[in-house]
Amino acid sequence: MAPTGRSDGLVRLENVGLRYGHGPEILKDVSFRMEAGSFRFLTGPSGAGKTSLLRLLFLALKPTRGMIRLFGEDVAAFDRARLPLLRRRIGVVFQEFRLLDHLTTYDNVALPLRVAGKRESRYRDDVMDLLSWVGLTEQAQAYPPVLSGGEKQRAAIARAVIGKPELLLADEPTGNVDPALARRLLHLFVELNRLGTTVLIATHDHKLVQQAKAPVLHLERGELRAR
Amino acid sequence: MKGHRPGPVIPARAGSLRSLTVTMAVMCYLACLAIGALILINRAIESWTGGLAREVTVQVRQLRDADIQAELEKAEQLLQSFPGVAGTAILDRDAGAKLLEPWLGNRNLDDLPVPRLIRVTVNTEAPPDYTSLAAALESEVKGASLDTHRRWQAELTRMARALSLLSYAVLFLICVSAIAIVIFATRTVLDANRPVVDVLHLVGAKDGYISRQIDGRFLKTGLWAGLIGVMLGLITFLLLGLTGPEGAGGVADASRSLLFSAPEIAIWSYSVLLMVPIAATLISLITSRVTLIRMLKDVR
Repeated sequence: MAPTGRSDGLVRLENVGLRYGHGPEILKDVSFRMEAGSFRFLTGPSGAGKTSLLRLLFLALKPTRGMIRLFGEDVAAFDRARLPLLRRRIGVVFQEFRLLDHLTTYDNVALPLRVAGKRESRYRDDVMDLLSWVGLTEQAQAYPPVLSGGEKQRAAIARAVIGKPELLLADEPTGNVDPALARRLLHLFVELNRLGTTVLIATHDHKLVQQAKAPVLHLERGELRAR
Repeated sequence: MKGHRPGPVIPARAGSLRSLTVTMAVMCYLACLAIGALILINRAIESWTGGLAREVTVQVRQLRDADIQAELEKAEQLLQSFPGVAGTAILDRDAGAKLLEPWLGNRNLDDLPVPRLIRVTVNTEAPPDYTSLAAALESEVKGASLDTHRRWQAELTRMARALSLLSYAVLFLICVSAIAIVIFATRTVLDANRPVVDVLHLVGAKDGYISRQIDGRFLKTGLWAGLIGVMLGLITFLLLGLTGPEGAGGVADASRSLLFSAPEIAIWSYSVLLMVPIAATLISLITSRVTLIRMLKDVR
């Protein structure tokens, strides 16, 4: 594990701007810092730039200006060959789930461990435990097209946390589940955070924010406002 | 969950390689035909060069004031005493007439001054000095001339070498086309699986891992296509071998000699033909791997 710069925290953004092609700036002068082990929500209306900010953080996009430092290193200086190793330290829950339809729920959840070269016999119990935790034991051998929206969301969350990431980024992770399950999932995020994972959750769900009592980063028209 | 076998990371259905298998099999079949042609041409060159180098011919023309039989004997004596000559045989008048049959038909040639021929076997290790032999014959035997077949040999060899070069060019073009279609198929497979590849990247898969998931299928495709191509090639040579009677020469005999020659020669022919599936597999595997790694580098 690379040492985290003391002054940078785990995540640090300085005057980050982002635009797609020649379009308007989606993110403007975004600056914030997250210490290792912290828990934050990212809120804001639809189109405020929450998903784009998360995409910058899981290295699917490059900023058009400004500086992003992850795990104490400037992402602009990352060699492409090192990206996979960095991504294994980040767990991501996508808003649109992005499960692979040709793999079972079990294989989808196990995917990050499989691509990291781990043997199935070594991760089988961990995956089944996690599936049980998110209430998907019965669906372990089912394929995503037959899962409900809530089940897909839980499978996506399980896939994001199975590798015990140092940083967890979640885009509307409770958007498709009932309040009881939303609380259960929040509990899972809090547990992970307690074990040392830094968590950033983008959400519209005010109740979820109130329950967690965690600091909020609020995005409005691409600009960050502290709350 | 015990004994669970994880499904393939890249779905087999998206971006099927069936049309690539068919095209590669056709390429391999054409390669087999080109290789077969090369083997036959090389054998023909060897046999022509060997046969023509072992023998020369002395022709004695009938001159008005000469006794041709006496001149023939004089020529034979001269030849037998010349260093480098291993043996001589005077062809009788009928044998000479027979050689003219294709041009003159089997008419009675008694009235025509048909030249007589002496077949001369030479010592291939220490061949005679043809220039002095020709000079000696011309000065001592009336109407004699020496034919070393060199002009024929040179022309036949030149033609065979041209055909041989053409076969190499065909093989080269087949390789280039095979590489091009594998590149095209690799792009198609990667494009068809782009969403899967994106997810694999985002969960931390390395380019090498992703390309290994895909190029295993190209390895199988190359091997299958190569084996199908070779089988079709062998069936073609077998069918060509059945098209004419034994000893009739031409394509039928040549095809038979390719398949059923002496074991030491047949092993060599079959080994060269079996190089086709090996080459197809390597071309398929290496080209797809290089293309995948290059394409994946453009994906963040």
